[in-house]
Amino acid sequence: MSLVRLLFSVGLVFSFAANAADAPASTDYAWPNLTDFIKQLIAKVGAPIKVYRLTMDREGKVDLWIQDQKRRDLVDSYEYEHGTMSEAIPVKFEHYPSIDAVDQHVIELTTIDFQRLPGMLATAKSKLGLPDARVFRIELERGDSHGFLTYSDIPIWTVQIDTPRHDGRVEFSLDGKVLNADKD
Amino acid sequence: MRRAALGVVAMLACASACADAPVFPAHPLDDPAAVKAAFAARIGKPVHVLRFGFGEHYADALVQNDAAPDEFDRYEAVPGQPMKDGEPQKAGGIDCKKKVAFADLDLAAGARVLKQVRAIAAANSYKTPENVELSADIFCNDFGWRGILISEANSDAMLEITFKPDGSSPSAREMRNDGWVKVDMKKLAAGSAPPPAAAPKNEPAPTRGDGRERDFTQGIEADLARVEAKVGAPLAFKHISVDKTQLSVDVISPANKKKISTYIVEDDGSIKLWREDDAIPFDCNKPFAAGDIPLAQLPAMIAGAPALIPPLAQGWVKNVHIYRSGLCGAPHVYIEIEDDRGFGNVEYDGRGKLISAEVQ
Repeated sequence: MSLVRLLFSVGLVFSFAANAADAPASTDYAWPNLTDFIKQLIAKVGAPIKVYRLTMDREGKVDLWIQDQKRRDLVDSYEYEHGTMSEAIPVKFEHYPSIDAVDQHVIELTTIDFQRLPGMLATAKSKLGLPDARVFRIELERGDSHGFLTYSDIPIWTVQIDTPRHDGRVEFSLDGKVLNADKD
Repeated sequence: MRRAALGVVAMLACASACADAPVFPAHPLDDPAAVKAAFAARIGKPVHVLRFGFGEHYADALVQNDAAPDEFDRYEAVPGQPMKDGEPQKAGGIDCKKKVAFADLDLAAGARVLKQVRAIAAANSYKTPENVELSADIFCNDFGWRGILISEANSDAMLEITFKPDGSSPSAREMRNDGWVKVDMKKLAAGSAPPPAAAPKNEPAPTRGDGRERDFTQGIEADLARVEAKVGAPLAFKHISVDKTQLSVDVISPANKKKISTYIVEDDGSIKLWREDDAIPFDCNKPFAAGDIPLAQLPAMIAGAPALIPPLAQGWVKNVHIYRSGLCGAPHVYIEIEDDRGFGNVEYDGRGKLISAEVQ
């Protein structure tokens, strides 16, 4: 990855943190400081960062799986909570994917626009008619995983929200287009 | 002191929340109308009832809001206590929506039904049930009052008595091995339908450990001989499982070829018959003998297995299984490897020839 792209990537997440802090939609979820997380991660493993899966739980704990760029058949998990990033945790697959499969699955960090997240959460709530819902889990992963057919193999943001009466999930493309919405 | 302080806090909290809450009757079975009035006051809106549990110590109701049919709440009541507000329930968790309008809820019938069910329990030597429940069965059928009777003497025995929501048309069924069997209500009323006797347990006493700690990946021949001595006949294997601390053998029973007995040898050498199951029809039930498998080579096979899969060379053996390959073929040895990243499998045939070694 060129230096320009790397800076662009970090700039994006930096601006996300600033926007997330200002945006009214973000006040109902303790958005993790992804800027700090990515900064720590790049300092640790260097660029490029290729994301296998990203999840954020209700409390804002982040679990990011990235491809090891020195051993591309391996995937490591980094957890981030209260400003602290974990050491690499080896990811153990039931059926280990080939290098080609991992290469195909990962998402370049530079293509992820984290600034869209508060808007996606607001859209999810309005789409499901659950204005008071809380985040249960937010996940980003390419849709080709686990052998199940999805819309395509595009990266999919899944925003899962709940209230005491309902559970709901809305799936978005990377550019924030709603792909699917369902509610129990 | 701390408990007292907590009690005061709880009382203060309740003082505001419970000020207008209806108090649940102290003797609910004696006054079903008062029970219904307390629930009506607490719920405060038109609802349908999907489930109502009724006993003298506790009652609860799962209701659906008539004005908002995807809103479900659960109300609980303890005799003599103010009733708390309902707990919202996840709509997705309500699998069965059979129901009755609250206005039609017949709690006098519930009280009668509980009395009848308890009389049947006493007459037929079942335990006294705590309550009855108005609901559908697990397949969402037969909405009505139901009492479940269980037996002190036979933990497998279960009798279900169901009534219509108005308490009429009782019927009973009993859980047997192969499903529900209808039971004659007249026999139950006469006290001549006690729970079936518990099956006699004629399993052999466990063999105590010999004090020597084992690692079964280092060899199982001696312990298979001990299992054989316990069984009292040559072992007709269906499946052998080995890990460091446990050896498990499924053998076809010498007395009944349709039974599979599983013996467990723990790492202290103790042996017990863990379970006996019916052989599964169309499964491979053709036994193999100790002479059909490379027992002497097994420790070396296990020790060398991780190195056969280069990405897992630093891994460890998780489990070893020996059973007939494919569609009832010759017995093979399957060694499961794992490391921090994943799993692998090594397979040998019955003569110790390597068949495959690959990452899973």
